[in-house]
Amino acid sequence: CVDSLKDYNVDPKRAAEGAVPGVTLVSSAELGLTRLVESTNVNLNPFRLFLQYWTETLYNDESNYNLKTRSIDRYFWERLYIGRGSTDPTVAPGVLRNLSEAKSLITADQFLDPKIKANQIACVEVLSIYAWTVLVDTYGNVPYNQSLDYNNPQPQYDDAATIYTNLFARINAAIAQMDASATGLGKADLVYGGDMSSWIKFANTLKLRMAITTADADAARAKTQSEAAASKVFTSNSDNATLAFQADLPNTNPLWEDLVNSGRHDFVGTSFFVDNLNTLKDPRLGIYFKPVAGTTATYKGGVNGALNTASLFSNPGTALEDPTLPGVLASYSEVEFLLSEAAARGFAVGGTAASHYTNAISASIEQWGGSTTDAAAYLTQPTVAYATAAGDYKQKIGTQAWIALYNQPIQAWAEWRRLDYPKLTAPADALSPIPVRLTYPSVEQNLNNTNYTAAAAAIGGDKVDTKIFWDKF
Amino acid sequence: QDRAISGKVTDRSTGQGLPGVTIIVKGQPTIGTSTNADGAYTLSVPSVATTLVYSFVGYATQEAPITGANTISIALATDTKQLNEVVVTALGVERSRNSLAYSATQVDGSDITVARNPNPINGLSGKVAGLAITQSNTLGGSSNVIIRGTKSISGNNQALFVVDGVPISNANTNSTAQQTGSSGYDYGNAAADINPDDIATTTVLKGAAATALYGERAANGVILITTKKGRKSGVGVTVNSGVTFGRIDKSTFIKYQKQYGAGYGQYFNDYNGGSVAPTQDDASYGNAFDPSQLVYQWGAFTPGSPTFGQATPWVAAENDPSTFFKTGVSTLNSIVVDGGNETGTFKLGYVNDIQRGVLPNSNITKNTINFAGSLNLTPKLTVSTTVNYTRLAGLGRYGTGYGSENLMTNFRQWWETNVDIKEQKEAYERYNTNATWNLYSPETGDFSAAFWNNPYFVRYQNYENDSRYRTFGNVMANYKVFKGFDIVGRVTADSYDEMQEERSAVGSTTASYNPYYSRYNHTYREFNYDLFGNFSRDFNEYFSLRGVIGTNLRRVYNSSIFAQTNGGLVVPGLYSLSNSSSPINTPTESETNVGVDGVFVSATFGFRERVFLDLTARRDKATTLPTGNNSYIYPSVALGYVFSEDLHDKAPWLSYGKIRGNYAQVGAGALPLSVNNVYGKPAIFNSQTLFSVASTRNNPDLKPEKTRSAEFGLETAFLDSRVGLDATVYQQNSIDQIIPIAQSAASGVLNRYVNSGNVRNRGVELAAFVVPVKTQNFNWRLGANWARNENVVISLPVDNILLASYQGGVTSNATPGQAFGSLRGSDYVYLNGQRVVGANGYYLTTDANQIIGNPNPRWRGGVTNTISYKTISLSFLIDVRSGGSVFSLDRYYGLATGLQPETAGLNDLGNPSRNSIANGGGIIVDGVLADGTPNTKRVSNSSYGLYGYLRNPASTFVYDASYVKLREVSLTFGLPKAVLAKVSFLKTADFSIIGRNLWIIHKNLPDADPEDVASSGNFGQGYQGGAYPATRTLGANLRFGF
Repeated sequence: CVDSLKDYNVDPKRAAEGAVPGVTLVSSAELGLTRLVESTNVNLNPFRLFLQYWTETLYNDESNYNLKTRSIDRYFWERLYIGRGSTDPTVAPGVLRNLSEAKSLITADQFLDPKIKANQIACVEVLSIYAWTVLVDTYGNVPYNQSLDYNNPQPQYDDAATIYTNLFARINAAIAQMDASATGLGKADLVYGGDMSSWIKFANTLKLRMAITTADADAARAKTQSEAAASKVFTSNSDNATLAFQADLPNTNPLWEDLVNSGRHDFVGTSFFVDNLNTLKDPRLGIYFKPVAGTTATYKGGVNGALNTASLFSNPGTALEDPTLPGVLASYSEVEFLLSEAAARGFAVGGTAASHYTNAISASIEQWGGSTTDAAAYLTQPTVAYATAAGDYKQKIGTQAWIALYNQPIQAWAEWRRLDYPKLTAPADALSPIPVRLTYPSVEQNLNNTNYTAAAAAIGGDKVDTKIFWDKF
Repeated sequence: QDRAISGKVTDRSTGQGLPGVTIIVKGQPTIGTSTNADGAYTLSVPSVATTLVYSFVGYATQEAPITGANTISIALATDTKQLNEVVVTALGVERSRNSLAYSATQVDGSDITVARNPNPINGLSGKVAGLAITQSNTLGGSSNVIIRGTKSISGNNQALFVVDGVPISNANTNSTAQQTGSSGYDYGNAAADINPDDIATTTVLKGAAATALYGERAANGVILITTKKGRKSGVGVTVNSGVTFGRIDKSTFIKYQKQYGAGYGQYFNDYNGGSVAPTQDDASYGNAFDPSQLVYQWGAFTPGSPTFGQATPWVAAENDPSTFFKTGVSTLNSIVVDGGNETGTFKLGYVNDIQRGVLPNSNITKNTINFAGSLNLTPKLTVSTTVNYTRLAGLGRYGTGYGSENLMTNFRQWWETNVDIKEQKEAYERYNTNATWNLYSPETGDFSAAFWNNPYFVRYQNYENDSRYRTFGNVMANYKVFKGFDIVGRVTADSYDEMQEERSAVGSTTASYNPYYSRYNHTYREFNYDLFGNFSRDFNEYFSLRGVIGTNLRRVYNSSIFAQTNGGLVVPGLYSLSNSSSPINTPTESETNVGVDGVFVSATFGFRERVFLDLTARRDKATTLPTGNNSYIYPSVALGYVFSEDLHDKAPWLSYGKIRGNYAQVGAGALPLSVNNVYGKPAIFNSQTLFSVASTRNNPDLKPEKTRSAEFGLETAFLDSRVGLDATVYQQNSIDQIIPIAQSAASGVLNRYVNSGNVRNRGVELAAFVVPVKTQNFNWRLGANWARNENVVISLPVDNILLASYQGGVTSNATPGQAFGSLRGSDYVYLNGQRVVGANGYYLTTDANQIIGNPNPRWRGGVTNTISYKTISLSFLIDVRSGGSVFSLDRYYGLATGLQPETAGLNDLGNPSRNSIANGGGIIVDGVLADGTPNTKRVSNSSYGLYGYLRNPASTFVYDASYVKLREVSLTFGLPKAVLAKVSFLKTADFSIIGRNLWIIHKNLPDADPEDVASSGNFGQGYQGGAYPATRTLGANLRFGF
């Protein structure tokens, strides 16, 4: 009889809730997060188009900021909170919910060494804080305090600035909890292989990033937090927080999947970016882009947002066509730009704006395989050198950070919004000004309407040109 | 004192005397006589006699009071079919139609096979009020079978098929991606395995009261199929042999503009000092055709092509994609041998069914063997069995949805009007390579396929194949314990194993995926163990009781494994998992088990053979629900009154009349494995095992869904049953729905199963017939059915449930106050009823959350017409659907890429709209500016987008899905009896000419068949993308009986 068939409700083919090591979910979160920031998928990550690194060839909807047809705002949001699909092994996992589950599994593990447990939880915290900053920087107010609780289907949105305040407390607590003498996540850590001294640098790097990102909104906090972090951040490219993608699908770099494996030719450099690199004789030009088909050294960009024939313009470079190209969560170059800006803002982070600026550019060139000589030659140009480059610190740093963060499009977008350089112009046919945020997913209007409406009103309207709280200028 | 009464009994309709009519004195059955050859009688009756009773097979029994007169003549009315017709009801229990207090429509097997439809499900379309069948235009594709509307928001809504007691699911195994319009194949539904020629009768049990004995799986209505049994005496052989020819109905295919060729804009690329067409651009917004201009086109770069290396005139293709379709020749041959005697019967049948599609390299072969036998072991014990074995093999089923394997997305959405299909055929056949028109960049030496393959390469190299081996049947024993009580024991099984192999050949475009091979193996087993007792007793002439008491144990086992190569294929043409370029990912396994134990009891109380009260109850205990919360009772009550029995004298024109009403509650269990939570399993990363929280949250507190249903009906026949009407009104509320409710992703899950919500279906069903002519040689019968179902979501725990998201920014939703499946997307912005245009000259559009369509029709109907003269008969069926909407992704993209003539017309100035604005072209879209003044801004139509998705909201592409179809036509010539008499071995012989889907008399959706939606099931209703044209089928069938 039926009552004797209790195991009929037990899935014989899948792991039951609670039955797996917590660190296996951290691996998933690391993979999901890195894929998201690295991707150029037109359903997920349009930021290279916003920054006019690239424009599209035949189907230029996203280049013209049509973000609704493909529900980009929704997929970006979902990936950070939960991810989609549970049975398909080729679907990338989500981030925050896996981290919260990992945290409770690790916490519940009675046999784990307390030091290791503290380290593992601290790593989970750092990754969570990273994801939260991406969410807040992208949407503004988001569900935070009431989030990740499936019993509450309609979580309230929290004030973006308040979330940041809480995240600062959390990152400091996580840093305090880290112990470099013990291991962390071990081999499950796809970023640092469990090395806690690297995690301490990564956590401080993230703290520095958070401080400078919000510097226009809370200068005092930016000063204290960046000064506290400055001595503990990345000091070379070998510290970079990267995830080493694999040669075989589905663990390949998502750029390779869309640029090479698809056989498609959807993206070319924009004339604005390529011309800039040409003018500056940038040594990264031949790495960032391929010469125009049939030429050896002619680099030419397409018209942003227009119909472009891929074969007539420079396509993304060979370096980006490597399936094992590591995905970058944070880079030394980025750190030096942040320190340069901190110094320019008068924060006591050691060094000068110029020295950090120089380090940042060198680090970027070297990160892409250039030599120190290349970097030095580049930096001697008056148009590049900090002292002589055009404009104020915002323009100098903004322009060079824009070039350097070519393959960190989400971070590049944040820098551009804060520094407002380089000056970009929307395409003629664009549906909106260049987005400075993503709109909330349309499904939030269906599923969480009251809270959605309140949040939209609180931030000044659910539009792509509503500025995030820290984007003051 | 006896006295003699005499008279004449005649047929009321013909006035002729009726011989053999039995006449008795009421209350004294021993006193009686019968009429002579002329219908005359004489009977000596005692003085106490008050009434005479006249009865005769085929006529309604009638009474006449004995008055002073010595002559009583009477005209008997032919019995309406309803009166004594035996109807098969739940659990296979046969009951007289009289005693049924709920709606049950019986369709004869011959009515299903009249047009020789190889799919018996589709053969029911348009024939039963309240049964909505939506057919697919793909070869062997699935049919959506819904009775009285969609009830369950997330569960199965397909009617349950029961063949001789064997429950057969109509569910399909198609992937969710396929069902929501992504790339895939439609593998059809398993209920199509039933052999149409084996069907004796089909009963459609619509309401819950009729199906309540099926308990947990009764909510969607039941289609009960009884197969033919062997004849009781002698041996017979029936042979059917038919062939049909299918060709596409061009009114359901796109028509192309012939003025402009390849390009997203009007340009050529430079090559070799000349011009090369932009072969990469899968659109037709390019340069205007000009026969005097020579352009390098794809053929110039295709080795072996007669135009290799040559620039050719820039002209529209002579052979557009409508010439891609061929004539699909199908054959259906069957033979049935049956026989029997006093102690037993048998039947053995074989069917060979070969269907060939209108696409090259497509066919489905079905071989069926069935056996039925019964043996009376003792006068009390009968054993019987039926076994069906089907082997189905599919090859080259049509690709569906959005993708390079569905050529309709190519032909209807992304096409170059200068590409000649015949040249593509020759190019493929030259070396069997992917000689595609859609070369990436021939001018720079890159000849790879950009987005689309050569269509012939797709059909001959990127094909799927599949097989299904299926056995279903039962063994049964019936023991008559005593008169009026027998016990039936029955074991039924439905068992199949299927395999589906898909492939994309080396050389194909990799725009969506690498060349691959995948295989899917699925095993399904269902066993039912039934034991029940049938009780039947007439206590006296007033009271009778019939009852059933029994138990049913159901066990279902379902398992599958799917594996696919990774990263491409190494050896071209080798389709095996080991030929994977990269190590393959772990295959996906699934296994589910379901057990349901049911006990049931039913009782029918009869009073004077005219008032019937039905009571049933069933208790189910299901493993899919949490222990302790897994047992539920489903009751029903029904009351019927045959009032015409009491009105014979007062209303002789009333041949039959019955009113009926009922109430019932039935259930639907949870999907298996909806109780406990499990982790998802991403691929192993660099030797590290990954787990991931599932995006759907299960629920340990689930209970079954319930459908409460009330029904009221009236069945009548008039004027000797020359006119009849059957009307039913019903309301069903499906509550406690098991729904994976979408919730804010910020809550950490995308969906969570809960019990909640209420969906109401209510409606009216009418079935009527009229027999205008009825003579010995000439008969004309007209039947019509009409049903209107109003579906509305009454309540939900949330504002809206997103059922499915489709390409094109369109979603399917359940929203309180709206019909199930309402379509949402972006709409125009309106000002005083006029569309608002922005300063840039294009329409303003809203967000994607507007309700833009309702896929549910207002009503459906069918008209059948049968005229027979001697042995010739003509019948046809008109199938009508009125209302409901369908979103066309084909037009969403096709109008953007400039395929249709309307994208290349003249503008208000009389100039070609595709001219540049400077050159008098461009369009002023119809609308007003935000201030209400008319729009005067002229916008360009010289590159892609103006008419399609780029510049218009999704609502632009929502169309009315009504249709009127001439669904079936059949003209049959039988050999006259006189001829047959001379051929002693031949009992029957007839020849039919049949047609199916010959003519869409009316529709509002341009260029496509509004019935062809993404898939059967809850997803894809009201959504069309990459639609196949309808196939007109014409054929002939020969039938001999020996």
